[in-house]
Amino acid sequence: MGKYIVRRVIQAIPVLFGITIVVYAILLAAPGGPTARFANNPRVTEADREKFKKAWGLDQPVPVQYCRWMGICNPNNEGLAVFISDQGVPNFLPTAIGGGTNGILHGDFGISISTGQSVSSMIARAALPTAILAGTALVIWLILATLIGSFSAIKRYSFFDQASTVFAYVGYAMPTFWLGIMLIFIFSGPGLNILPAGGMTETRLSPPFGTEAYWAYFAANPFQAIADIGRHLLLPVITLVVVNIAGDSRFIRASMLESLSQDYVRTAKAKGLRNRVVWFKHAFRNAMLPFVTNVGLEIPFLFAGAIVTETIFSWPGMGRLTIDATRDYDYPLLMGVLLITAILVVFANLLADIAYAVVDPRIKY
Amino acid sequence: MTQEAKPLSTPTGSSPIDVEADAIPAIGMGVAQPDEAAALRREEAGADYEVALESLNQWQLAWRKFRHHRLALMGLGILGALIAVAIVGPILWPFDFNSIPKPDQIVYQGRPPSLAHPFGETGGLQRDVLNLVINGARTSLFIGFSSMMLGVLIGTIVGSIAGFLGGVLDNVLMRTVDVFLSIPLLFLILVASRVFGNGNVLLIVVIFAFFSWMGISRLVRSLFLSIREREFVEAARAVGVRDRRIIFRHILPNAISPIVVSASLIVAANIIAEAFVSFLGFGVNPIYPTWGNILSNALTFIPLGNWWWPFFPGLMIILTVLAVNFVGDGLRDALDPRTRA
Amino acid sequence: MTAQGSVEEIAVTIAERPAGTPPDESILLDVRGLQTHFHVMDGTVRAVDGVNFSVPRGGTVGLVGESACGKSVTALTIMRLLDIPPAEIVGGEVWFDGTEILGLPEDEMRHLRGNDIAMIFQEPLTSLNPVFTVGDQIAEQVRLHMKVDKKEAIDRSIESLRLVGIPSPEQRIKQYPHEMSGGMRQRVMIAMALSCEPKLLIADEPTTALDVTIQAQILELLKSVQARTKSALMLITHDLGVVAEMVDEIVVMYAGQIVEQGTAEQVLTAPTDPYTMGLIESLPNVEKRGGRLSAIKGVVPSPFNLPPGCRFAPRCPYAWDACRTTSPELVPAGGPGQRARCLLHTPAGAARRAAMLDTAASGGATAGQGA
Repeated sequence: MGKYIVRRVIQAIPVLFGITIVVYAILLAAPGGPTARFANNPRVTEADREKFKKAWGLDQPVPVQYCRWMGICNPNNEGLAVFISDQGVPNFLPTAIGGGTNGILHGDFGISISTGQSVSSMIARAALPTAILAGTALVIWLILATLIGSFSAIKRYSFFDQASTVFAYVGYAMPTFWLGIMLIFIFSGPGLNILPAGGMTETRLSPPFGTEAYWAYFAANPFQAIADIGRHLLLPVITLVVVNIAGDSRFIRASMLESLSQDYVRTAKAKGLRNRVVWFKHAFRNAMLPFVTNVGLEIPFLFAGAIVTETIFSWPGMGRLTIDATRDYDYPLLMGVLLITAILVVFANLLADIAYAVVDPRIKY
Repeated sequence: MTQEAKPLSTPTGSSPIDVEADAIPAIGMGVAQPDEAAALRREEAGADYEVALESLNQWQLAWRKFRHHRLALMGLGILGALIAVAIVGPILWPFDFNSIPKPDQIVYQGRPPSLAHPFGETGGLQRDVLNLVINGARTSLFIGFSSMMLGVLIGTIVGSIAGFLGGVLDNVLMRTVDVFLSIPLLFLILVASRVFGNGNVLLIVVIFAFFSWMGISRLVRSLFLSIREREFVEAARAVGVRDRRIIFRHILPNAISPIVVSASLIVAANIIAEAFVSFLGFGVNPIYPTWGNILSNALTFIPLGNWWWPFFPGLMIILTVLAVNFVGDGLRDALDPRTRA
Repeated sequence: MTAQGSVEEIAVTIAERPAGTPPDESILLDVRGLQTHFHVMDGTVRAVDGVNFSVPRGGTVGLVGESACGKSVTALTIMRLLDIPPAEIVGGEVWFDGTEILGLPEDEMRHLRGNDIAMIFQEPLTSLNPVFTVGDQIAEQVRLHMKVDKKEAIDRSIESLRLVGIPSPEQRIKQYPHEMSGGMRQRVMIAMALSCEPKLLIADEPTTALDVTIQAQILELLKSVQARTKSALMLITHDLGVVAEMVDEIVVMYAGQIVEQGTAEQVLTAPTDPYTMGLIESLPNVEKRGGRLSAIKGVVPSPFNLPPGCRFAPRCPYAWDACRTTSPELVPAGGPGQRARCLLHTPAGAARRAAMLDTAASGGATAGQGA
């Protein structure tokens, strides 16, 4: 088991490396580059732009920029040559050993061009809201999808099954952001106006989420704070759940139907077991096996859905950060966000594979 | 394939939404029991059905099966109508950017659907939503379909090269695909549309195509790997048929069905993704109507409760994606030689 | 062949009995006029179409026929394991141990399944649940029916594995099905079936999926445990060779109907129905070595498009005009208690039959020789 995990982690390294190259290539191939953000600003002169480029190291050849960003070569040296740090150890080792201070490999994501803050701190701040939103949605959607899918399979062709089929087709075709907008119109529009249209906390009640003042407020009124977040969470979570549940409930239904038609289900019935036991012990356990892998593969979509949902509901998370970084051509921030996301995706897939190996006794490492 | 639509892989195969023989009973056809029937038929292996055997080619057979798929026919009808509207509509009733409301008409509030304006009117510039939706259909469908075609072309070429040549090249290409698929593609599309797109429809098409080929290339490659080992390819090679001819005459025709099915998924995914990217303002120049742009403009009018403004373009997206998915389902069943007519 | 009762006794067991009354005490399972249909997209399949037979206590009966003749559906109908719909039990009665079980409420039926009637399926590879250990799967059944605690259930599981000749059962119960060979898994299935000491064991093609050498072992095992536990056995197979070794009585089915029934000796040595004759002819045997194996010509008719007269007529070498229009009944033929569904054994066919026997006697071709 341990060996298997180690092997999988090692296999993931070239993929992550490839991701950094792809992301970097896209950004650097862009016409104008980061200075494009000044394109419509008449006060920024050509000289200013050059200065800006120099300040951010954008005047260097692309491989050098990439190496610096990765932290492979010494940031103080211009050019590619130096792979060995002043301390005499390779630069691509983590900070504690390598001695360098800048670059991804040293845990340093750089400084955001648009805000001047460190990318790591910006990501760290945005991570919690996204984790709250995506985590809540994931749990609810997995439970509901499992229930709906299983019951559709068991009560095949029943009204419930037909209704959930229609729901799945429509839900699957529904753009996340449209659902979000419609929910806002319904619940936050002038008609009902019972739920907040966006944000994570009620700004009139509490300091902005994540600040020290907020945590002080949270410590003072924990229930009020949680209820406030819950109210703000409701619409975004519904949006994410409805859109994602559609496909998954069909997946589970199909998987469950497949299980229910297996010989061992007939054996279980022939033993005289109750239908409930046959369904939820014998068939269900087998139906869950492919779903475990599927959930791992769905993690990227959860993130994608989160970007969309966060944008619509002004949720101060990673999605918002991505959109802002894209809009402002904030390369260090974008690179950081994309890389973190990719690492999470690779990690989620790994987790799914391991989980699969754990739940299916037939898998050998 | 882009993010909004998941590949929805199922335990048995590569379907969207629904699986195996189970696609048909979805809505309103609850009586039939295709699975049990199939099981029974399997038991009846070797039974004589005394069917007069007509000789039908692959496409006649597929059409015959497709015809029996009620939802797919409906989807095809809807899709045909939408495409017709997208082509003819803007000619008959073009969107006029310069049409600005007369002074006495200037009201901030939009107007709800009425007989004169069945989809209502927007707030602000008082545009007719129906007109916007019709003109948006042209751009949205154009982007959806043409990016799919370009993506399928790229994917087929890459997959063919990887699958037919194998070796190091195969490895490099497939690892590249792995890399692309490890990042939520919507992120990449978003960034690429922002930095390259420039609001230009054709560039957007290219960008979407560039992020739509990975699934297809994997599929084509695996088909190549499995088909090139099959007897008829061996036979062709044995009689000295050239590689190129083997690819185009023997292998690709066999790969068409699964490609067509995934292509339908790509169309659906790209239509949604286009809407999203435009919605964020990174897609098609926001002064022109696409379904995403209409939604984007509507967002600022939430406090006024002009629900019809975002409702109808979204409805069109849902309708299109539903239709495409139904057609995809129908194609999957029709092109699957294991299902019966 | 160990004849369980005298020929006369068996004759009684397969005689018609009035509906609604329980059969004789000596009869464990009595199937009367059973009709099971499947409603599918293309129409209705009459999978079991008026089947009568019975199994004496401790007796052994073989249900024989080609694929899709309705023999498995008969067994599943008795167990009430068919999904309804698409299946529908249209008519008939099944008396088990003095009770009519087709009308039993589901929860009472559940007490019978696995406890009084156990079933072994064709596919040992897929009939065990891959995610539970074999011990769990046997113990689950034991705990369900015997009201014993976990420890004792496990002991009993080990015991039943030992009974079917699995070495070191204490270790084996902790294994998953995929860690065992096909033969071992079928032994586990048998052990599971026998774990609650059922009165009737239904074995549906128990050896078809196994290697030939393993087949013999499993049959031997079935025979010995059946003798030891005194449970009745209903063996379903397409292989006449298997039933010859195993059972006292044979029921031959074709296209949902019984075409011949009688003692094993009667059916195998003196078949009276052309279909049975054809089946026996198609068996390889030592005397015919070197010659061509004969097969019944043609294929089983489509269940949606059964021939109007005798269902076997299109393939029957003896068929004449009447066979294509008249559906024959199951009538006495051959030895005592033996019955066949063939017009040859009715007055209408008597002349033809006499002529046929003459040709056979004068050294002609063996009956049932299909080209």
